[in-house]
Amino acid sequence: MTSQTTAGAPPRKPAATRPGNSRQITKFIRWAFTHFWLVIVAFAAWWFLSAGSTNIFVPPLSRILEVLWRDLMNGVILGHIGYTLTNLALGLSIALIVGILGGILIGERAVVRETSEPIIHFIRSIPQAALVPLVIGAFGIGMGPKVMTIALACVWPILLNTIDGVRAVDATARSMSRVYRIPKTLYFRRVVLSSALPQILAGVRVSLAIGVTVMVVAELFGADRGLGYYILNSSATFKIAESWGGALLVGLIGYLLNLAFLAFESVTLRWYFASGSK
Amino acid sequence: MSATMQSTPELREQISQRKKAAPRRLPVPALVIAVILLMLLGWQTLVWLHLLPTMTPGVLEVFSAIIALVVSPAFWMSLWQSVSAAFTGWIIACVLAIVVGMLVGSNSFARQSTSVLLDFGRSFPTLALIPVVILLLGTSQQMKIIMVVLACFWPVVIQTVQGSKRIDPLVIDVARTYRTPPSLMFFRVRLPSALPFIATGVRISAAMAILVAVGVEVLSQAPGLGRQITLAQQGQNWDIAFANLFFAGLFGWAVTLLLAKAERRLLRWNRLGDE
Repeated sequence: MTSQTTAGAPPRKPAATRPGNSRQITKFIRWAFTHFWLVIVAFAAWWFLSAGSTNIFVPPLSRILEVLWRDLMNGVILGHIGYTLTNLALGLSIALIVGILGGILIGERAVVRETSEPIIHFIRSIPQAALVPLVIGAFGIGMGPKVMTIALACVWPILLNTIDGVRAVDATARSMSRVYRIPKTLYFRRVVLSSALPQILAGVRVSLAIGVTVMVVAELFGADRGLGYYILNSSATFKIAESWGGALLVGLIGYLLNLAFLAFESVTLRWYFASGSK
Repeated sequence: MSATMQSTPELREQISQRKKAAPRRLPVPALVIAVILLMLLGWQTLVWLHLLPTMTPGVLEVFSAIIALVVSPAFWMSLWQSVSAAFTGWIIACVLAIVVGMLVGSNSFARQSTSVLLDFGRSFPTLALIPVVILLLGTSQQMKIIMVVLACFWPVVIQTVQGSKRIDPLVIDVARTYRTPPSLMFFRVRLPSALPFIATGVRISAAMAILVAVGVEVLSQAPGLGRQITLAQQGQNWDIAFANLFFAGLFGWAVTLLLAKAERRLLRWNRLGDE
């Protein structure tokens, strides 16, 4: 079927056959628009609705961003962020090591697993925020108690997920490892760990969220440095905009950490997602 | 290939011999109790050997504190304060989240528009807002409930969106062919299909509700279990602090267990297709 074109004008190629770059750019712009328009609208709405605020406890968004920028630039917040993130990283690392090692050991034998699971579930149900006064009250407001609290709160999801992941290792793969007399270290590293990795990383994602919460609570409760301390101090000295800014920053950090972890997960588990498993 | 036929009595003999030869395992509950007793013994030993900080209470002290709490009406009052705030906030959050989630989830444009905001809300540590919220709302039961709502909304809404996304388009088409009215469509087609995911979200947020309620009490000294723990710790009554902690954990564990049981019963129809 011949298409009519205006006399003399070159026919416009249909979208599907335009050069790849231009099509990808359009796709990207559409993706960005649909995903972010609401965020921009919400931000603008907050900005304009709070601009004329007379309530001292609800400062305008412009002011919040202004003091946040100021404190970021003069290095005050950067020090606090560094302290907070260091605690989080240390606590999570401890939780990772203990959780994965413990999970592998417990998950391998059915008896151990069935015995420990009710106990782990009970300890895990203790509200993590309730541990904070006990640990900090016993050990003080230094860095160690905070790292310990975070580790204590974050180890359970990783432990439980590792147990589940180890338990789900293909029975055939297990038998094959025995038949081929694969040494234990290689067995744990290449068979068990690789197979359980998707589950373990799912548990780490949950622990990340818990860790951020516990870290903030611990610093709000008793600290002399850190983002939580910054928020509390600002609100106690009636620097309202600063405390809002600190809370926003904590939320942003939590969100960015989550995104970074998702990116890490998609790279590490590329083989898993490619195989079509969910 | 030679067929080794054995008569029935011989087979029965072999089976019973195999059963006698296999090692008998202790039933799991007995093992669990044994492990718990061992752990308590280990704890007490560490206390006697002064390997733990000196203020750590021994097992017997914690036990007597637990019993003392159970008979004191003040404890039940603070338990009620925590639990009622958590429960009220949880219910409100679930209702709001299911409504919003079903609305958002049924439309792909709405899903894409809200995905960034929902992700941000989900990863936001709600307890970080406490200093700000205290300034705005003071230290009251209402403030606790609002914080619980703010925290519990996100897991449920995200799970609801996931659940309503997954409905089979074929089912929707069939329902439309039969000119199903919109209300029936929602309650009998969309909602039940999303229910397994919603149930998971509801269960997660129940655990979060108690955590946030206790967390708010710890940080803002609003009356409740969290406040009792902080007061006990400040008054160096570690056995009472541990006893309160025990009950907080017991309650959270019981709620999670009950919800899991309820989910298994109510969603039995969902699993029937799997077998």
